[in-house]
Amino acid sequence: MDEELLELQRQFEFAQQAKSSVRLSERNVVELVQKLQQLGIIDFDLLHTTSGKEYITPEQLRKEIGEEIKKLGRVSVIDLADITGVDLYHVEKQAEHLVSNDPNLMLVNGEIITNSYWDGVAEEINERLQECSQIVLAEIAAQLQVGSELVLSILEPRVGTLIKGRLEGGQLYTPAYVARVNAMVRGAARGVFVPLNLPALWNSLQGLLAETDGASGVAVEGSFFQSLFNGLVKEGEILGSLRAGVHWTPTVFAVAQKECVDSFFSQNSYIDYGAVQKLGIPQPVQYLQSRYSEGIALDTLFAHPSIVEMLDSSAEDAFERGSWVDALSVLPSSFSSQDASKVLSLCPSVQNALKSNKAIILGDSYVFSNGFLQVLFDRLENDTETLNLDPSASLGLSDSSQTNNDASSNDALSGSNETGKLGLSGKQAPDKGSKKKKGKSMGNSKMEAAEVDLDYQETAPTKSKKNQKKSKVASSSHASDSRPGAKKDNDKTKEDSLNCISEEWLIQKIKPMVPDIEEQGIEDPEAFLAPLASYLRPKLLNSLKERRKAAFTQNAQRMKRVMDNLQRKLDESFLNMQLYEKALDLFEDDPSTSVLLHKHLLRSTATPIVDFLLLDLDTHNKLKNGIEAEDSEKTESTLSPGDRNTLAKSLPGPLSQKALAVIESLEAKRVETFMTALRALVDESGLVLKKLDKKLERTLLHSYRKDLLSQISAESDPVSILPKVVSLLYVQIHGKALQAPGRAISIAVTRLKDKLDDEAFKILQDYQAATVSLLALMAGATGDVSIFFYFTLIVFSGKTLVYLIEHTQSFYGFLFICYIDFVLMFTYLNLALCMLYDMSQKNSHKFTTIVMV
Amino acid sequence: MEGWDPTTKSTLTQIPLLTTRAGPRDGAAWTQRLKEEYKALIAYTSMNKSKDNDWFRISAANPEGTRWTGKCWYIHNLLKYEFDLQFDIPVTYPATAPELELPQLDGKTHKMYRGGKICLTVHFKPLWAKNCPRFGIAHALCLGLAPWLAAEIPILVDSGMIKHKDDTASSSEDQNQ
Repeated sequence: MDEELLELQRQFEFAQQAKSSVRLSERNVVELVQKLQQLGIIDFDLLHTTSGKEYITPEQLRKEIGEEIKKLGRVSVIDLADITGVDLYHVEKQAEHLVSNDPNLMLVNGEIITNSYWDGVAEEINERLQECSQIVLAEIAAQLQVGSELVLSILEPRVGTLIKGRLEGGQLYTPAYVARVNAMVRGAARGVFVPLNLPALWNSLQGLLAETDGASGVAVEGSFFQSLFNGLVKEGEILGSLRAGVHWTPTVFAVAQKECVDSFFSQNSYIDYGAVQKLGIPQPVQYLQSRYSEGIALDTLFAHPSIVEMLDSSAEDAFERGSWVDALSVLPSSFSSQDASKVLSLCPSVQNALKSNKAIILGDSYVFSNGFLQVLFDRLENDTETLNLDPSASLGLSDSSQTNNDASSNDALSGSNETGKLGLSGKQAPDKGSKKKKGKSMGNSKMEAAEVDLDYQETAPTKSKKNQKKSKVASSSHASDSRPGAKKDNDKTKEDSLNCISEEWLIQKIKPMVPDIEEQGIEDPEAFLAPLASYLRPKLLNSLKERRKAAFTQNAQRMKRVMDNLQRKLDESFLNMQLYEKALDLFEDDPSTSVLLHKHLLRSTATPIVDFLLLDLDTHNKLKNGIEAEDSEKTESTLSPGDRNTLAKSLPGPLSQKALAVIESLEAKRVETFMTALRALVDESGLVLKKLDKKLERTLLHSYRKDLLSQISAESDPVSILPKVVSLLYVQIHGKALQAPGRAISIAVTRLKDKLDDEAFKILQDYQAATVSLLALMAGATGDVSIFFYFTLIVFSGKTLVYLIEHTQSFYGFLFICYIDFVLMFTYLNLALCMLYDMSQKNSHKFTTIVMV
Repeated sequence: MEGWDPTTKSTLTQIPLLTTRAGPRDGAAWTQRLKEEYKALIAYTSMNKSKDNDWFRISAANPEGTRWTGKCWYIHNLLKYEFDLQFDIPVTYPATAPELELPQLDGKTHKMYRGGKICLTVHFKPLWAKNCPRFGIAHALCLGLAPWLAAEIPILVDSGMIKHKDDTASSSEDQNQ
């Protein structure tokens, strides 16, 4: 048999004989351990592995963990749980215990890391740093899979020892690199001469670095530059001041800035804010105020008190001289008007003057002493006064300007308005004149006219009607000047006219009055004059108004008186006129006599009416204009036709037209035309013509007769008695008052033929003849006693005749009684006539005419 | 390999496999085969011992090694029930598995052929055929007898068909002799 087989048999036998090992099941073992723990035999914690097959004591676990950490330097707790096969919970617990007991260990993000591990890492980093000269921490952190903060906290204590470099802004640099960048920063900072935002500088440096380092260069952060920069500033390698951490102002710049401001300010005693800002000082006012505490901050510039003193002295000078001063011309040219006014307000002398009302500031920069203003004002006032006092002179002008206006505007309303105004008062005249002047000065009268028109149109639509009404009211107010409304309206119109003293006009006026404007070299006199004018204008207007008002109230009384007088006179004479006119009817059938009578009536009665009417109206007109009119009480003298015409023309508007018509009718031969023209004129002037009625006629006639009688009785001139006697006879017979010229007497006498009885008529005829012859005699010789005698005789006879006519019931009876006397007288008269005839041979032609008559 | 409990399976895989395909009539090849059988048995036995699971004793009854006899036992309720074990190597071995006999239990259970040959599970035969010639005696014991004992003995004991040898010492001794 095979040896091997036997051997195998033996082995098999042996194997079967071998004692089988005794084994406990796991369950039994677990129970046994539990029993042991219950019995207190195992008096320490037992942990079991995750497989559940092993028990492990905490000490053993800790030991294992410790060994593992020592082996690797950095172990994740999860890995530890896997390695030891113990539950993570226990591993963590033990790991914490371990870490807390060992200062060299740290537990970070579930990892236990030893210091030696970090040392190793630091060494590695150092090696790399020496190669690359810079490393970003984030890169390291990513590599190590830890937070960059942790890396930072780990690296910080090792920088300078293990790591030979510099940690800056999340990056590691080698000293060489730092030195290079530092040099760059220093160079850049030293090269900066103006204030700069540092980030901008850093940006350019970064660009530079990127260029030099090429693609491998890591962007250097601004904070790195900043820290280097701060270090340089601290060391004094670069000079300057840092504001808000980023605004760098180099010392060079600051010094230059300061010097610039200083030099300008000390040289000019002021400095413009703009200039300061140009120098890079953002808040010039604060800057300057802090630097020059004594300076004065104005609106656009900063001034030294010496400026104020300068202005003060010049202003004081101006006050003393009673002159004016333009602050702008005294101050440097860069002072604005606001600044000037501010400086002015700071001047003590100006303040005092203003307080004591000795000066006034106009238009920001002009200081006028009161004296100067007063003088100017007085002159202006006089100017306006002369303008007002000379209405007739400017009337022509106003007319032309008016037509100009009308032509350009064709505005009927305004036209009528103007004429209404003209009709109202001649006051329109002065401002018209001013307008004319203005037009002249502007050179563009057309434009001006349009402008004026605009002015008018402003008031025209509302005023035109009102004005027409007003004119009526005014005219009625002339008749009865007691209505307050009328007065008000008058005031209003006055104001209107006053408003027309425009500022432009004032400026034109002032210009020649202030000759030193040109001397002072003001290029724009308007700018200087405008405030002055606007200041003076209301004052002027006020004074003018006051004056006008005074004149008006003063004149009103006189105007009233004039008008009353006029009315009275007019009433009287017009009634008479009417009375006389009626008598003309008697002669209508005799054209030649009628013409004669008409003419006579016009000459004798109508002419005085027209004269006093014209004179009084003129006076009234003047008074109303506030012009001192001479007293017209004495103007009873007759006027020449030329005088009448000028007077009529001086009257305003329609009044003058009507007056001219009246004057014209005066020259005509019909009383009726005169009457209508007169009515029109009187209507226009606001007076009333009384109509003759029966009752009035009778009383008038009566008074006329009485008047005639008294006149006759007082009369001593036989020639003048005759027409009166004839008139008396006409009154007696026809009940009409006849005004007959000498030449018409005979006709008048012949007309009486039918009405008187023969004797009476005879007497009358004789009387007339005697008178005629007497006249002839008178023409021939004077101073003769016999003539005087006849005179008295004739006069006496006439008077007796009249007396008889008046005082006897039976007119003819008395006439008869007187007849003998008359005959006697007539013989005498004849005698006288013969004598006269002899005496006046030389004057034969006269005699013939008398005889003819 | 379904049909067996996991312990059996793990054990089976640990028994070394055989390589020689030879029956008892193949002379030297059979000797070679026999050596492999022994090695496998030694490994299996020592394995059992190490797991404190020793359950049989066998030895070759003839020099050719075609007949094997021994004992097998099963512990149930802390009592050890021990039975005689005998089997022949069939001529067609290793294509045919050896028929294991427990003569003492003949007629006591119907999971047994006449003569005390145990009935194996339906899975046994195909598995054996599939693993021919790699399976040997050790495998047959492990796959066949061990599960059979574990399944049948508790039933038999509970049904009172077999008694512990202390109770039936005389009768079992008689039978053994």
